Amino acid sequence: MKAINIIKSMGKLEWFLAALIAITLLNTFLGEQFSSTTLVSILIALTVTYKGFIVIDHFMELKGANKNLRFLMRLYFVIFPSLIIVSAFY
Amino acid sequence: MKTPPINRSLGIFPKSWSEESAGRIPGNIPIWVGILSELTEFALFFVAYFIAKFYYPDIFSQGPQNLHTSLGVTNTVVLLTSSYFMAKAMSFIRINDKIKCERYLWLAFSCGCIYLIIKTWEFHWNTLQGFSANTNEFFTVYYYMTFNHFIHVGWASCALLWVIFRLRSGAYSAQENSGLEALAVYWHMIDLMWILIFPLVYVLR
Repeated sequence: MKAINIIKSMGKLEWFLAALIAITLLNTFLGEQFSSTTLVSILIALTVTYKGFIVIDHFMELKGANKNLRFLMRLYFVIFPSLIIVSAFY
Repeated sequence: MKTPPINRSLGIFPKSWSEESAGRIPGNIPIWVGILSELTEFALFFVAYFIAKFYYPDIFSQGPQNLHTSLGVTNTVVLLTSSYFMAKAMSFIRINDKIKCERYLWLAFSCGCIYLIIKTWEFHWNTLQGFSANTNEFFTVYYYMTFNHFIHVGWASCALLWVIFRLRSGAYSAQENSGLEALAVYWHMIDLMWILIFPLVYVLR
């Protein structure tokens, strides 16, 4: 009952934090259990991009702010995760 | 929030980049110059990582298995939580609730200290296992990236103490909080860099 009340009282930021932590744990699990597969690297790269976008848009609050800064920050989290995918084919 | 004069007076960017055309700049322009410089610096580290991984794939495949993954995961959770605390601090200063704002700033500062303690312990643990920056190419890149990030968390934590001092002296309010917001976006940038560093050195094989 107490847990349900806590979940009900959670705001947007709390949900984003929970999602970020869950993705971190999932990434670690994938890396530990299914080492050196291309699919795992692609999944990890995509989740890194997603985590970056959440922090940029909702914690840094760039979603409704300067569009150039938001573009640059999001581009950063497209380029380097893409390199993770490229490196999976080394 | 009233726009600080510096945001409008530099006059070095195209008009389409102005706040009127492109939208509000969180914090102030100087902190964004700093943030973009730091991003460039870390970009060089990441490029160095990918080049080294290309030339030494076996070493980079085995490297993460020698690290204390649990400490890396814990530090990731700690930094993400600290970002959440910073975002909460910003939301409370906007409604002029300085007591709650200060409380969340102290929580963010605590997370910064916990991160530094865990990282120090991890470096010590590596030394006990016989690993150093000279062990191989993976550890050179690992220390290069993580120690640099460690320094960033260290000085940002000191900046947090300064911001708490300024808050207590009445420098920030719902109307004027650009200094606090500048540190908040810088703190989030440090968190973002860890989001990239973590999978590179702890997860990917």
